[in-house]
Amino acid sequence: MSKLVVKNVTLNYANGNKSNTTALENINFSVSEGEFLSIIGPSGCGKSSILNLFTGLLSASEGEILLNGKAISGTGLDRGVVFQHYSLFPWMSAKKNISFALSQSFPSKSKKELTRIAEDYLGAMGLKGFEDKFPAELSGGMQQRVAIAKALAMDTELILMDEPFGAVDSKTRVVLQDKLLNMWDSGEQKKTVVFITHDIDEAIFLSDRIIVMSSGPGRVKREIAVNFARPRDRFSLTKNAEYAHLRNEIVSLFYDDLASKIGGEEVVL
Amino acid sequence: MKKFLRLADFIFIVFLILVLVLPSVVKAHSAYLAGLISITWVIFIGARIYNKSSEKVIVLGDALLVVYIFLLLWELATSKFAWLDKFLYPTPGVVIKMFIEDMPFLLKGLLSSSGLLAGGFGLALITAIPMGLYFGYKKRLKLAAKPFAKILGPIPPIVYIPYAIAVLPTFRAASIFIIFLGAFWPIFINTLNGVSDIDKKIMDSARMLNLNDRQMLLNVILPGSISAIMSGATIGLSFSFILLTSAEMIGATSGMGWHVKYFSDFADYPRVIVGILFIGIIVTIITFFFDKLEKYLLRWRKT
Repeated sequence: MSKLVVKNVTLNYANGNKSNTTALENINFSVSEGEFLSIIGPSGCGKSSILNLFTGLLSASEGEILLNGKAISGTGLDRGVVFQHYSLFPWMSAKKNISFALSQSFPSKSKKELTRIAEDYLGAMGLKGFEDKFPAELSGGMQQRVAIAKALAMDTELILMDEPFGAVDSKTRVVLQDKLLNMWDSGEQKKTVVFITHDIDEAIFLSDRIIVMSSGPGRVKREIAVNFARPRDRFSLTKNAEYAHLRNEIVSLFYDDLASKIGGEEVVL
Repeated sequence: MKKFLRLADFIFIVFLILVLVLPSVVKAHSAYLAGLISITWVIFIGARIYNKSSEKVIVLGDALLVVYIFLLLWELATSKFAWLDKFLYPTPGVVIKMFIEDMPFLLKGLLSSSGLLAGGFGLALITAIPMGLYFGYKKRLKLAAKPFAKILGPIPPIVYIPYAIAVLPTFRAASIFIIFLGAFWPIFINTLNGVSDIDKKIMDSARMLNLNDRQMLLNVILPGSISAIMSGATIGLSFSFILLTSAEMIGATSGMGWHVKYFSDFADYPRVIVGILFIGIIVTIITFFFDKLEKYLLRWRKT
């Protein structure tokens, strides 16, 4: 069954008092239960807008988005979110950030219990000893680990991630990808994940399926299935001929898009 | 050995000798001045032994140097050579002596002023912060409040003093009201802007948690704008001091501002200087603790 269905969605931004800008045009796809889906595309293709439609922070101008068969209207605690920045409140400690979010998700649980869950998830993300640190005292990578721990601890069926590793260095990014996959694989029931990125290797390594988008206005260009067995190993994967093929295909889709722009009136580079 | 003999030490020794050895031309109480500089110097030595990290010691030494030079010039110009009119310019020794002797009287004045300050500034804090938070959070209220803030905010509150004294039943009520007005606008406007300046991403994260208004205000909007609130409160506090002392100089029968005005009327200038110094010290102490509070409230920020 489809967890999430995007039906004929168009998103227009009001552009001052002049004409509207179309960010997304006639988007159609669906995400299955327990699927890890990545959306990839050049900057400005509206991939973050799609995610914000899922969060409920934005609403579609046309078309509809169904979560478990019901149209999304506004934000909800049934969706966990990790943004690139500021998924955490800077004035709350790592532990408090998680337990505060949990107190919203599980109002019946005691404070003590929520703190224990927060500590467990922080421990699982390798953050033991950092529970009482404020976000500013943590590195960017550690902050994102706390944010992921928060989203997972809230135990939502759907997790939305908007370039969560976009602001960390490449070495840390690899560690975070492994941690994320570990946590995702180890869950009893796999959570549905929508993951926005502009990193092709990241998308292939993590996903069951990749949606490649093109820009101006944002459209779905291609859907690509990634059929590597799980759990995945980064090093054997990169030696795989299939991997190279897949990577080339996505790269050419990217450059195709860029080439057509450079050929036209608009130059983006 | 350079570490153990600073310029401040040298000046101190020269100073001490000059103060004690040179004869005074007027009754100058130079012993009090010698006592004061000796105490500060001992504190300085203590700080050097106790605190080896030199940054703070250097700053303290430089500050002492400036104070010593100022006091020395003052002492030379009054008690030693009487270059200045002795009626208008008391000697430092006389001022220090009077400062000590008048301390109970000064503290009584402080108590009286504190009541007004706490009333007016406190009232401003407990109204302007909640209002600023709520108005800032609700866009329509914010848009409605902005023009009023723009028109009423810049009126110097000092101009309300005569009318407030006429309208309100007691001088106390009038003073508290004026201090309140002076502190309210900077706190309210800063809080309002502080709420608007909270990063949109933080607000998005908060919205994802479906918080109710109370949680939103207490757990997100208040801490998110605390920096702006504190800078508004700092401005409000210094306005409060200006208004407090002005109001007291106009109509009070006690307090720190009254002290200065009262003794000016009797041409008792040593006591006027004591009153001014006392206000300076009190303002410094309050500002010091206010800064500490701000640091504590913003401890989650990157240092």
